[in-house]
Amino acid sequence: MSGLSLFAYQAGSSASGSDRFLQALFDGTSLGARYALVVLGFVIIYRATGIINFAQGGFVLIGAYLTYNAMETWGVPFYPAIVVSMALTALLGVLMQRSILQLVFRESAGAVAWLLAWAIASYHEQGSWASFLIGLVVGAIVFVLVRKVELRSGGGKLNELPIFGAVMVTIGLLFVIEEIVPAVWGVNDLTLKDPWGIGAFRPGGLTIGHDKLWGIGFAAAALLLFVLVDRYTKVGIAMRAIHFDQEAAVAQGIPTGLAYAVAWGLAGAVAALAGTIEASGPNFSGALVVIAFLAFPAMILGGFDSPLGAVIGGIVIGIAQSMFLTYQPDWLGPGFDRVGIFIVMIVVLMVRPYGLFGTPEVRRV
Amino acid sequence: MARTNHRMVTDYKDDLRLFGTPWKRFGLVVMIAAFVLIPFKPDTIEFLFLPETANVTLDAFLDLHILALAGVFAIGAIGLNLLTGYTGQISLGHGVFVGAGAYLSAYLGTEYDLALQVLLPAAAILGFVIGGLVGPFALRLRGSYLVVVTLGLVVVGTWIFKEWRSVTGGHNGRSAGDVEPAIGPINFEELSLFGREFTSGQGMFWLIWAVVGLSALLVKNIVRSRTGRALQAVRDRDLAAEVIGVDPSRYKTLAFAISSSLAAVAGALYAPLQDFLTPGGLTEAGGFGLLMSIQFVAIIILGGLGTIYGSVVGAVLIGTLPEVVNAVTRRTDLPGIAGDGFSSGLLTVDQLNQVLFGLAIAVVLLIEPRGLAAVWEKFKLYLRTWPFTR
Repeated sequence: MSGLSLFAYQAGSSASGSDRFLQALFDGTSLGARYALVVLGFVIIYRATGIINFAQGGFVLIGAYLTYNAMETWGVPFYPAIVVSMALTALLGVLMQRSILQLVFRESAGAVAWLLAWAIASYHEQGSWASFLIGLVVGAIVFVLVRKVELRSGGGKLNELPIFGAVMVTIGLLFVIEEIVPAVWGVNDLTLKDPWGIGAFRPGGLTIGHDKLWGIGFAAAALLLFVLVDRYTKVGIAMRAIHFDQEAAVAQGIPTGLAYAVAWGLAGAVAALAGTIEASGPNFSGALVVIAFLAFPAMILGGFDSPLGAVIGGIVIGIAQSMFLTYQPDWLGPGFDRVGIFIVMIVVLMVRPYGLFGTPEVRRV
Repeated sequence: MARTNHRMVTDYKDDLRLFGTPWKRFGLVVMIAAFVLIPFKPDTIEFLFLPETANVTLDAFLDLHILALAGVFAIGAIGLNLLTGYTGQISLGHGVFVGAGAYLSAYLGTEYDLALQVLLPAAAILGFVIGGLVGPFALRLRGSYLVVVTLGLVVVGTWIFKEWRSVTGGHNGRSAGDVEPAIGPINFEELSLFGREFTSGQGMFWLIWAVVGLSALLVKNIVRSRTGRALQAVRDRDLAAEVIGVDPSRYKTLAFAISSSLAAVAGALYAPLQDFLTPGGLTEAGGFGLLMSIQFVAIIILGGLGTIYGSVVGAVLIGTLPEVVNAVTRRTDLPGIAGDGFSSGLLTVDQLNQVLFGLAIAVVLLIEPRGLAAVWEKFKLYLRTWPFTR
């Protein structure tokens, strides 16, 4: 657990009571900033399309590995590599949305793309053109078959995929991505060469790591940028309009498909940034996907559809986790901090069923 | 005189009949025959006219232990379908209730030598109580919020499984091998009837699939009764249900309790079948963590929400998938798959399993959002209206 184990070395440092508290506070804020970034990805997609994108964890993973790929394979320096990774992950998000969830090119792109990927991958591994050709032929056959079934069952009425169905599809995609990533990049730990080092400011008894400050800074910048896009650009306004009332938005001529695609693209870019920050310690592995699950309490706390909620939820949950880690009694067992944040989430939901900043659903008889 | 149409329903009693048409009665006979006869299949299946891959696939698919495991999944899935398919409450935490039943059965079965006639009711009661306690938490939550809270249930549940070491054996798990799957004098692992000895695979198959049949009957009876209609009213529009006098809180809690009760029963059978229990977690494979819960949701979605036979079909498909993939990759050479751990491959078998599982969910949902049950219904409609079918 690359990023999350950053706490490990602080448990040993015995400091005075108030220092210990302040340190936990700072660590929590830094962790919270990372959560906020992951949550922002969830929020962007939820606001536009109304689904929780479980595949977001997969995007985080792919983002981290693409940054690695850009640095190692293509020789790009760290900061441009982040941009490359964000752009590529955004592209992947858009493609996924268009081909799979929007169901636009469903018959063709979906089946063929996956099988092509399979064929290319096996070509890469075994060096035979035969497997590539087989992949192509199988892809073509699947395409024709799906096409036929499609025509018979009355064409594109598949947009009726219910919300929960769409959520399940993203869970399915998460499973696929989680396994494709080690297939491409291997299962061993990789490193982004520790771009921010282990330097730290030490005011008083505290340790304020440079890497953590960078993480907080990036998260703040990304959140600010998103708020600006959301408020002042046409696409942002379109996304908000769709969230407010989809039918009215369509009637007003707002291109919903485009807005959905942009939302997935933005979420992909944010995820790539989150993944890179998460992976920026000494080393990282596929296990960092877990941050997407641990970010759920933060998302719930803030409410699904509020970027401000993402920030506050992230930081509150980050601090809560850090406090659990510092002050939990031993008998609760190792790793209780991760359980504790879910308990906090459940308690908050008992009081406020739509989170702190979520929009309550108005129901009329 | 037109010929009698068996689909025509003239009164309410007819509408409620389980096996009202000759075809349905025929289906019942087929099911009973399959139940009795499948354990007598030969050890290895060789159809000469089939290619080897197909034989291997069929062989793995009909493995009795795997089919019994699929039966365990079917019991849990039938329960989850009552909650999700008929009451509209989504739960990603079903695996935790299975775990509760399994640990109960392993603990009581090992420490106190209790047999299934005690363990199964005990698990059912435990599941009912836990479900009844958890259910109220879900009452105020809707849609996606409920999904994430049930995810929290997985986290808290697996944490308890890990920390309550005296009962669960902690992180490394505990053995359940000493639990005897016996009802009274009949031990299903060493079954002998009419002077004939049966293998444990055969015995467990009969035991578990008999429980599947009973659970299906139970849920079907709930669904076609007053309670079931109330549940479906809550699912379709709970506000409207409240207006006509159905108390949504009461029925949602009831659905949670019954569904987790069935899950715990499935768990109580899972323990003696698997012989070893590990707690699982959010991202760990195995155990009663998120993966198992997602498997349950995948089963009912693949099979079709709000149909009981759909849950069973889905459970058989999802439950046997890993073993079939295992067998096929072990016995044949697929490009890019590391079969036995020696040859280098792109994906290991476990990874391939995960990928196929994920793809199965995504593809089935995209092609037919209402699951395999809808495919079957369409097929029946096709036959019924033939030759006027498009």
